[in-house]
Amino acid sequence: MRFSLNFIQEFLKVDVQPQELASLLTMAGMEVESLEKQTSDWIFDIEVTTNRYDWLSILGISREIAAILGKKLKINYPALITKPSLTSRDIIIEEKGDCPYYIGRRIEGVKVSVSKPWLQKRILNCGLTLVNDIVDSTNYSMLKWGNPLHAFDADKLEGNIYIRRARKNELLVGIDGKERILGKENLVIADSKKVIALAGIIGGKNTEVTEITKNIFLEAAVFSPLTVRRSRRAAGLDTESSYRFERMVSSHLLEYASCEAAKLITEISGGRNKGYKVAGKKPQLLKNNITISIDSLGAYLGIAPLKPRVKKILENLGFKVKGLSKDRIMVSPPESRFDIKGEVDVYEEFSRIYGYDKIPAQIPFLKRSLITPDQAGCYHFKGELANLVALLGFKEIITYSLEGKEQLKIEEGENVIELINPLRSQENSLRSNLLFGMVKSFRHNLNRARGGLRLFEIADVYSKTSKGFKETPILALAISGKAEDFFFLKGAVEKIVNFLNISNCEFKESSLNNFTNALKINIGSCNVGFLGKLDQRQNKSLDLNEDLFFAQLDLSTCVKNRGQKKYQPFSSYPVIWRDISISLKKTIKFKKIEEVIKAKGNYLAGLAIVDVYKGKDIPLEYKAFTLRVFYQSTKKTLTSSEVDSFHRQIRQSLSQQEGLSLR
Amino acid sequence: MENEIKRLEEEFQKDFQEASFPKELEALKIKYLGRKSTFTQLFSQIPTLPPKERGAWGKRLNAFKQKITSSLGSAKTQVESKEESIDLTPPSIFPEFGSRHILSIVGEKICSIFEKLGFVTIEGKEIEEEWYNFEALNIPLEHPSREAFDTFYLDLPEKNKGKYLLRSHTSPSQIRVMQGAKPPLAVISPGRVYRPDEVDATHSFMFHQIEGFVVDEDINFAHLKGVLLHFAREFFSDKVELRLRPHFFPFTEPSAEVDISCFICKTGGKKLSEGQKCSVCKGKGWLEILGCGMIHPKVLRACGIDSKKYKGFAFGMGVERIAMLKYGIDDIRLFYENDARFLEQFSL
Repeated sequence: MRFSLNFIQEFLKVDVQPQELASLLTMAGMEVESLEKQTSDWIFDIEVTTNRYDWLSILGISREIAAILGKKLKINYPALITKPSLTSRDIIIEEKGDCPYYIGRRIEGVKVSVSKPWLQKRILNCGLTLVNDIVDSTNYSMLKWGNPLHAFDADKLEGNIYIRRARKNELLVGIDGKERILGKENLVIADSKKVIALAGIIGGKNTEVTEITKNIFLEAAVFSPLTVRRSRRAAGLDTESSYRFERMVSSHLLEYASCEAAKLITEISGGRNKGYKVAGKKPQLLKNNITISIDSLGAYLGIAPLKPRVKKILENLGFKVKGLSKDRIMVSPPESRFDIKGEVDVYEEFSRIYGYDKIPAQIPFLKRSLITPDQAGCYHFKGELANLVALLGFKEIITYSLEGKEQLKIEEGENVIELINPLRSQENSLRSNLLFGMVKSFRHNLNRARGGLRLFEIADVYSKTSKGFKETPILALAISGKAEDFFFLKGAVEKIVNFLNISNCEFKESSLNNFTNALKINIGSCNVGFLGKLDQRQNKSLDLNEDLFFAQLDLSTCVKNRGQKKYQPFSSYPVIWRDISISLKKTIKFKKIEEVIKAKGNYLAGLAIVDVYKGKDIPLEYKAFTLRVFYQSTKKTLTSSEVDSFHRQIRQSLSQQEGLSLR
Repeated sequence: MENEIKRLEEEFQKDFQEASFPKELEALKIKYLGRKSTFTQLFSQIPTLPPKERGAWGKRLNAFKQKITSSLGSAKTQVESKEESIDLTPPSIFPEFGSRHILSIVGEKICSIFEKLGFVTIEGKEIEEEWYNFEALNIPLEHPSREAFDTFYLDLPEKNKGKYLLRSHTSPSQIRVMQGAKPPLAVISPGRVYRPDEVDATHSFMFHQIEGFVVDEDINFAHLKGVLLHFAREFFSDKVELRLRPHFFPFTEPSAEVDISCFICKTGGKKLSEGQKCSVCKGKGWLEILGCGMIHPKVLRACGIDSKKYKGFAFGMGVERIAMLKYGIDDIRLFYENDARFLEQFSL
């Protein structure tokens, strides 16, 4: 809300510098977002939090400034004019819940023109636009007292005034020139023939005050905040008026607001008050007495305030304060403050004027919280794991959890959760895997000539289940590059499994959507993830110019199967190795060789492929490589002849295998 | 014969002076002592000499051989111990480093500061029920205060705690913890949150928050200040000052927004004078870092905690904002684009 210092001076003599005032206001909770000089005036732009609708008027802001400066307000209420009564039409409120109180006023014989310069300044300096002297007068009164008003061209009204819900598909063209189709959720002002305004939001074009308007019907009313909110949302607009009604408008100054506007109109545009009528009942202000203990207040804030100090601060804010005992006082908030309901509201009022900066800073002694592990989740586990994966040379990424619902699927039947109110179709569902985020990050870097990357992400994935839905933390890691890089990824996954100390973990070949071939990672009979190479077709359609190897692990299962780390003794005797050159038919898996060797494997300490041949002499359907077999005993140094003998046995077993030849 | 040996010795000395590489030394050995050398020829002539002279000539030739061998030997040792120097000026080679994401680093750092004070880190879930995200936090249905928390709703069947949504702040974790555990409680809760904001340099529909709260019998506003001041000094710099401005949040009362004095221009919170510039605080001297307050008794009651007996404070901050301030990052999109040049700047 913008306000001008000169306008404030109508209620209060401000004798501090504007800059100082701005900083005082900010520190008392009325944040001044900007301050600018405007010829002989200063314009403050403040943030009005949703609880302080009373700051949407110059009176309310003045009251706040007075409290901060420790001054008294000087309020000149306009004289109340309630005569003569309006007889030409009735005001009928159909639903008291929507509109408890409505004041109509008729002014005859006005001459509409441009506002006087002083009025123009008030309007413009508060950020509103000029219309004509009638409308500007109603806006002036709204700014001053906080009650939105509306002026109709009385000659365009037909019959009585109704405050009622719109009928289905009733139409209204607003003074903004836009036609709106209304419905039951809209509260309207209507005459006997037509809708003339969206109550508390915008007036109709059909009864707008124009330069030829002679007679005015001036509306002052209070409408239900919720009704206005729903109505303006359904109608798709937000106005100065609806903004105030939605946050609550007090009825206790409604007569003054109406009279102030009438007074201005008659003074500026001529015309005479020719009728006054009230419908509904002015809501009774509820007496709200709150008992405060000074000690409790002090204990809440961590200070020891003196009773007179508390009393003075609250009284400056417009509270009525009554002493009850040495420690207790009874306070009742000013009538404009519906937001003060309980003790803590009073504590806040006191503390913000007392000054948050005067409250000391203390570190409490925190007792240990008793939290069960399933409440705690796995934040630290994820952190440890992320550090490990980073040590393996992977860079951590963070990608959006929202994707288009036609997302990259890995398993059949992944049932994605959709957003009811998405911003864009690219982000209209929750992802069920981390593949697409990964792909996007690789693509971004590949397009910037940055290949050979290793990336990982730890994030939740989501899907519908028969019971409802699930949200599970997942680790995804990926490498872009050449075919051999798959084995680095596989190594990384094995390292992770090792780190987690999961004993019964196995890789099992399987086929998955969008992957050429893949290994599923199982713990016992439970699948916890997979790794694989993204297939060429997807690679191409996703615009990746390197192969992508991707792995994913379900962390909630991993963390459950995590074992306790324990030292593993290792042999102190030397390792001896022997090489075997092998040609293997491509249809036969390496795993076969491994099984044969393991079956024979006396003192076997490991296997490694140390060289791959791609010479002309190797038939196309074969692959040729050198396998290094390591031998070691935990009890003694193996002799050369012992190793030769074991190795001979292995060679012999291998040579009996079909599709395999030793070279 | 003696002349011949003398000539050989002189010739060797000359050759030896010029030789400097191992290969050249090897060649000299072959030339002077090899099978086809004069030395070998002379040696083979010994049997043809008169027996009396044989011994003397044998000694003489052996002495010659000894001299050459030792000269070459010591020269070789010398040459071998002298390595060829290499050019050290070509570009360096960098290994493909692993790294943590800056938001993870900042998030973990923040949590650890609070953990050292006795807070326990607890993660909530991102899919939440409406009651936990709003009503329990004293944010009534269809109230303007909800507008600050526009929210994505999900197509999941509604249960007893209202519609399912993506949490728009980490505060629902607070509710869940308070419902499930008895005070005393000191909890810090990090995680992803979602709001339907169009993406630009300072907005994102997904971002990270950290929520912290304490509930116990004797907790007060001064404790809130103390804990936050400790955090600000640990995280930003031990020279920063703290400023709490009264504000409104439905779930706390009193509430405050918290600023730290700018740790770049270091004015201790004073405005910069005309002409001076600070790209971080824009000359204001203060930087807003978080929101906080004393937990509203209604919130405690909603979680089944006796608000007469217990009090608490809570605070919440945006991890992106904190990271942007601390590291001078000017575009929030950098966090989710994952450009290697960005990721590499922050390691473990």
